[in-house]
Amino acid sequence: MDALHSLFTVGFATALTFSNLLWALIGCTLGTAIGVLPGIGPAATVALLLPITSRIDPTGALIMLAGVYYGAMFGGSTTSILLNTPGEAGSIVSALEGNKMARAGRGGPALSTAAIGSFLAGTVATVLLTLLAPIVADLALKLGPAENFAIMVLAFVAVSAVVGDVPQKGFVSLFIGLAIGMIGIEEQSGQARFTMGVLELTDGIDIVVIAMGLFAVGETLYTATYENRIVSRIEGIGKSIWMTKEDWRRSWKPWLRGTLIGFPFGTIPAGGTEMPTFLSYSAEKKLAEYPEEFGKGAIEGVAGPEAANNAAVTGTLVPLLTLGIPTSATAAIMLSAFQQYNITPGPLLFDTNPELVWGLIASLYIGNVMLLILNLPLVGIWIQLLRIPRPLLYGGIVVLATMGAYSLRQSWFDLLLLYIVGLMGFAMKRFDIPIVPLIVGLILGPMAEKHFRRAMTISQGDATVFLTRPLSLSILSLAALLLVGPPLLRSWRKMRRPQQA
Amino acid sequence: MTQWPGRHQAYLAIGVIILGLIMAFQITHMSAGAGYARVGPQFFPSLIAAGLVISGGALLLKSTRSLGHADPADLQGDEDVPAVPDAEWRGFILVSGTLIAHMALIGLIGFTLAAWLLCYGVCRALDTQHRVRDLFLSLGLALALFHLFRLLGVALPSIIPGVL
Repeated sequence: MDALHSLFTVGFATALTFSNLLWALIGCTLGTAIGVLPGIGPAATVALLLPITSRIDPTGALIMLAGVYYGAMFGGSTTSILLNTPGEAGSIVSALEGNKMARAGRGGPALSTAAIGSFLAGTVATVLLTLLAPIVADLALKLGPAENFAIMVLAFVAVSAVVGDVPQKGFVSLFIGLAIGMIGIEEQSGQARFTMGVLELTDGIDIVVIAMGLFAVGETLYTATYENRIVSRIEGIGKSIWMTKEDWRRSWKPWLRGTLIGFPFGTIPAGGTEMPTFLSYSAEKKLAEYPEEFGKGAIEGVAGPEAANNAAVTGTLVPLLTLGIPTSATAAIMLSAFQQYNITPGPLLFDTNPELVWGLIASLYIGNVMLLILNLPLVGIWIQLLRIPRPLLYGGIVVLATMGAYSLRQSWFDLLLLYIVGLMGFAMKRFDIPIVPLIVGLILGPMAEKHFRRAMTISQGDATVFLTRPLSLSILSLAALLLVGPPLLRSWRKMRRPQQA
Repeated sequence: MTQWPGRHQAYLAIGVIILGLIMAFQITHMSAGAGYARVGPQFFPSLIAAGLVISGGALLLKSTRSLGHADPADLQGDEDVPAVPDAEWRGFILVSGTLIAHMALIGLIGFTLAAWLLCYGVCRALDTQHRVRDLFLSLGLALALFHLFRLLGVALPSIIPGVL
């Protein structure tokens, strides 16, 4: 058990230093707060923290950012249960049953089963990450540039075809992201691309501007235009925060099932937490002892999806740490945090930066405990955050966004870019175009180009290299299958339906 | 025929196609520099430009399916066209206006005053019920952030150094 050895000797030794514990606590607290607040998600927060973290050491910074990522998932459930407006995508399902429970005076047990389920799922998933990551990293060492490029193509296709209501929109989003990623000086040739002669664009558009523009400015424009009149009501916790014996009996199986559904979904590029939470919800509905309670506040409908949600978040760290492939928007921005320190996540990371990787993984165990304490006994503090008036909340979010963009170069030009990206985010939200493919394309695009050119250089310009290497061929075939499979299946079903009717 | 429900989405799709064409046009004007193993700096962007045109075209096709369904009642449950919420453009214009004023003014009047204006502008755009309270709270927020980030060592423009 090399993995366990490294975890305990290197990992916990790094994570248990005073400063790293402090970073983990700051990250978890901040993450919970922004998870609770509607309107700003983990991806935007991690992006906003990038300029500040560039001053601290990479291990501490990444431990903090991971805490934010985790904490937002814990905090998001509080909002969806008590306010019925999910703070982030993974909590949509929890609102279905959780808010009903809160209305029936059982908000406390709903929060409990969400927090304990998240803790359990997070911990089990971290164990799986500990055992799995070194094995995947070993395998990944054998991949050449052709295979790496093929994996990125698979990530592009999967993220665009799966997330959102129609694949066309996913691909529009992906290609816009890829196009934005091309802006600036191209590394190999020094050629400026798509800068339109604007000097400020030669460095490319910073991820902070993109993330803040899409998530913060776009979101505010959308709320001001379409959601001004929505009034929401905060539910109370009810009699007690704790679960009854009956609640425990009904929760533990959904927790475990949710974990098992969530983790694998996080590791594949299917766009994060939406799919596994919905799957877990429908699984619990089918298996429920009291199916008539679903829709009226069934505790299983909170326990399962919340566990799935957290397990998926941990799952995204497997491809991120071992292959350098992000499978969600937040993971993509975490990747650019690594890049900020000139650290390339990937198979070599376990050899070159063992303190960082194992310290990060060990901090996840610690962060889970911190979050359980922050979210259960201290839940009252977070409920107060729900009382912040919405106009002020959005005002604050926009101020933070402009501050993040302006502090990059002290230039109003970045504020202009921020507004333009914000308009784009507004339009995307208005037309239900998913944002995740754009972020993944933006971050992975330049890397994909690099691997593509490296593969072409090795093969001396022979493009068939991607098809003659068996592994690269099978990955690309899988991507093609994802692309043409679902539409074919749909038209086949349509053809059969009239005959049946 | 001008009121078909998919038209907004179709305009967007046309915009995406135009974006792809603009990219393609710019690629033809790039100097063919260090082309290496047949892959120059133009190659990858060309793929992306093609992707924009194709995905925009696919979305356009999807949107035009609602052509001929002029009556929205025909479209109950049509997943091709998302329902259009009622827009309040007053909010949109106010947020946009304060953001543009903010970027024009931040260099002149410093972070705190510009952020005060911005925060209060957003509050008004979101139709706050407590105009006076939010005016003061916006100022408090801007001041607090200015001093917090000054302590963290993030340089922000100021009109009176170290104070505002």
